[in-house]
Amino acid sequence: MDAPAIVTEHLSRRFGQLIAVQDVNLQVAPGQFFGFLGPNGAGKSTTIKMLTGLLAPSDGRIQVLGLDLTRNPVEVKRQIGVVPEGMALFGRLTGMEYLNFVGRMYGLDRETAAKRAAELLDFMQLTDQPKALVTDYSHGMQKKLALAAAVIHGPKVLFLDEPFEGVDAIASGTLKAMLQRMIARGATIFLTSHVLEIVERLCSHVAIIHQGRLVAQGSLEELRAGVESQAAAAFAAGGAAGAALPAPGEKLTLEQIFLRIVGGTRPAEELSWLG
Amino acid sequence: MAGLNSSPGMRSQFAAIARVRWQLWLNGLRTVSGRLELVARGLIFLGFSAAGFGGSFALGALSWLWITHDRLSWLAIPLWFVFLFWQLFPVMASALTESADSSSLLRFPLSFPSYFMVRLVFGALEPSTLMGSLWLLGMAVGIGIADSRYFLWAAAVLAVFAIFNILLARMIFAWVGRWLAQRRSREILGVVFFVFVIGFQFLGPLLAHLGGRGHSQASEYAAWILPIERFLPPGLAAESVTRALRGQFAPALATFALECLYGLAVLWLLNLRLRAEYLGENLSEGLARTAKRKEKQAVRLGWSFPSVSGAVAAILEKEFHYLSRSGPVLFSLVMPVVILLIFRVTPARSGNGIDLFSHASDWAFPIGAAYSLLILTNLVYNSFGAEAVGMQFYFVSPAPFRQVLLGKNLAYTLVLLLETILVWFAACFLYRPPSPEITLATFAALAFAMLANLTAGNLLSIYTPKKIDYGTLGKQRASTMTVLASLGVQGLAAGLIALTLLVARVYGKLWIAVAVFLVLSALTSIGYFAVLRRADRIALSRREEMLAELCRA
Repeated sequence: MDAPAIVTEHLSRRFGQLIAVQDVNLQVAPGQFFGFLGPNGAGKSTTIKMLTGLLAPSDGRIQVLGLDLTRNPVEVKRQIGVVPEGMALFGRLTGMEYLNFVGRMYGLDRETAAKRAAELLDFMQLTDQPKALVTDYSHGMQKKLALAAAVIHGPKVLFLDEPFEGVDAIASGTLKAMLQRMIARGATIFLTSHVLEIVERLCSHVAIIHQGRLVAQGSLEELRAGVESQAAAAFAAGGAAGAALPAPGEKLTLEQIFLRIVGGTRPAEELSWLG
Repeated sequence: MAGLNSSPGMRSQFAAIARVRWQLWLNGLRTVSGRLELVARGLIFLGFSAAGFGGSFALGALSWLWITHDRLSWLAIPLWFVFLFWQLFPVMASALTESADSSSLLRFPLSFPSYFMVRLVFGALEPSTLMGSLWLLGMAVGIGIADSRYFLWAAAVLAVFAIFNILLARMIFAWVGRWLAQRRSREILGVVFFVFVIGFQFLGPLLAHLGGRGHSQASEYAAWILPIERFLPPGLAAESVTRALRGQFAPALATFALECLYGLAVLWLLNLRLRAEYLGENLSEGLARTAKRKEKQAVRLGWSFPSVSGAVAAILEKEFHYLSRSGPVLFSLVMPVVILLIFRVTPARSGNGIDLFSHASDWAFPIGAAYSLLILTNLVYNSFGAEAVGMQFYFVSPAPFRQVLLGKNLAYTLVLLLETILVWFAACFLYRPPSPEITLATFAALAFAMLANLTAGNLLSIYTPKKIDYGTLGKQRASTMTVLASLGVQGLAAGLIALTLLVARVYGKLWIAVAVFLVLSALTSIGYFAVLRRADRIALSRREEMLAELCRA
């Protein structure tokens, strides 16, 4: 059996007094499309930054494709692709120059880097203005370019921090097509997103982090079954939670599961002055 | 809406902004680099204070002396000096000053007068305002001591002159900021700025040339310039004080009124710009819509260099693209040749027609080469400043950090080499070919100085990086700590080179200098490679601070 694509053991990160991530144990199997969810400030970005080498953990261990990230950072980075929060683009290069640059930094020879760069620009429909600088691209174009750069070396694991944020439906469709193609070829994708509909449609497995702790992990069906059984138990005990059980034949959506796990919204009456 | 019965008062908004700026400053002290920056700023502040109070005393004494010795017309000289300093210093010395961007406050319910005042007051909090005001105060006191009857008049005239200077500086910053906001206008402005700087360099030779034309012709030029000078703000202020001191109150009042008119004109221009900002202007640089192209993207190979790894070659290529797309950087690289040209046309003494290097033309090449290195240090000491969010890529890519630094260092060294060759040809053309000993000594000294600067530059680029934003005025600078440290390294390297040359000159054998420079280069290269070897570890330990600074919005 293949080694897990991503494993974290007791992963923690402190910023002074604040514990941003605490004792997180994640396991992502090869070929999974894995969604990493959590409310704002829960520790999603901190975790993905640790997994990609942008941030050092305070405690714990990270393994990617069976390699310890701290001990083999270069070997791990060679096999992963990353679209970080800020997209890591170089504004004063053209799209072609940027992809060429990234390819060669990942160790591709210049012919391969150039060929793949051209193919990716074609696929992402970024060939309209070949001389335009990245800084002049629209947000959606920059997202597509960032994803192209993350996959140019054919990574086995892809980390995406909010890849669909601020992207229109057309660009989003292109991104999804690219990601599904990667999954079909056996790559593992780890993404964070606030758009739960997209995660529900794309991801086979999900983990939810809340206040720095991992509160749920598994396939969507496992999470759904867990929440429903909890609700049923509460109903049997005469609690109010049972009232939100889905009607027979209906499934809980990921949003409902998420809200059940991390807690619901606050009552609006608290801010009565909002009018 | 509940709680919003009255619009927020200007005073409370001012207090809130002052408090948030104070809080931002305090929060900046949480990091080590923030505390180091505080120390550096403390030193700079002491320097500015000494110059402010010392200059105030000196200008006060001069004003007193000129009035008591009936040299009233000379009062215009310090006023022109104050005016030029006030307007040029904030632009020229942006590395030593802090500028606040208040335009983000527009999302709050600020009335236009509040916004205008916030931009004016918080923008004016800079050393040139402090020093200029102190100097003008010194002049007013000097005039008052010389003739106490005219103290109030002088104080009023100089106060208006100070207000004019504050308004003009803010007006220039506001308009330049507008042009910097868009890449194309930014590049045009950069070129105009450097043409201006180059033109300014020729002012000295021009004056020397005019001075060499004999007294009568110089007087002719003065007779042509002085009437114009008297109608410009510093001349008007001087004229107003002078006329009052001579008891000619009507002309004094008229010139004062003209000075006020200048102030109002500048106020109008500033108002025009800030109102456009206030009303919300679209400075979008989005790509123009074009018809979809059918053809496929052409394959374009990246650069390659013999014996250079792919990653280092990629960094080298990227650096050259970055340098070639920055108008100001390109123009600054032309400066060493321009400097040689200036020296060529500058007479050593008025009227003798002999240039500055006439007795030592061999030194034109070393001086031009040293200037090339000096210009390049702007890039060397903050080599990640222009990367912004791209910095993240270096930490997620498998290329070791030392290769990133090596690629950047190679790019800078190649630029220096090309420039030095260019300077050599310029020296040959403008003067005479430097002797082989001088050429060799220059290259050996450059090797030592470049290695020393690269070693320190690599460390400072990691330890005290500063995000450079070409689109915002005053945010194109390295950190104050970096500026001071780089001055120290350059001073040390220049001192060692000068001492070596002196010893070689005493013995009359320049090859001694060549040998010493080569030994120094070898010793420095040990330090350079030691730093490079540790670069991965150092960068890894500093990655959070680097990313926090360079990737911030």
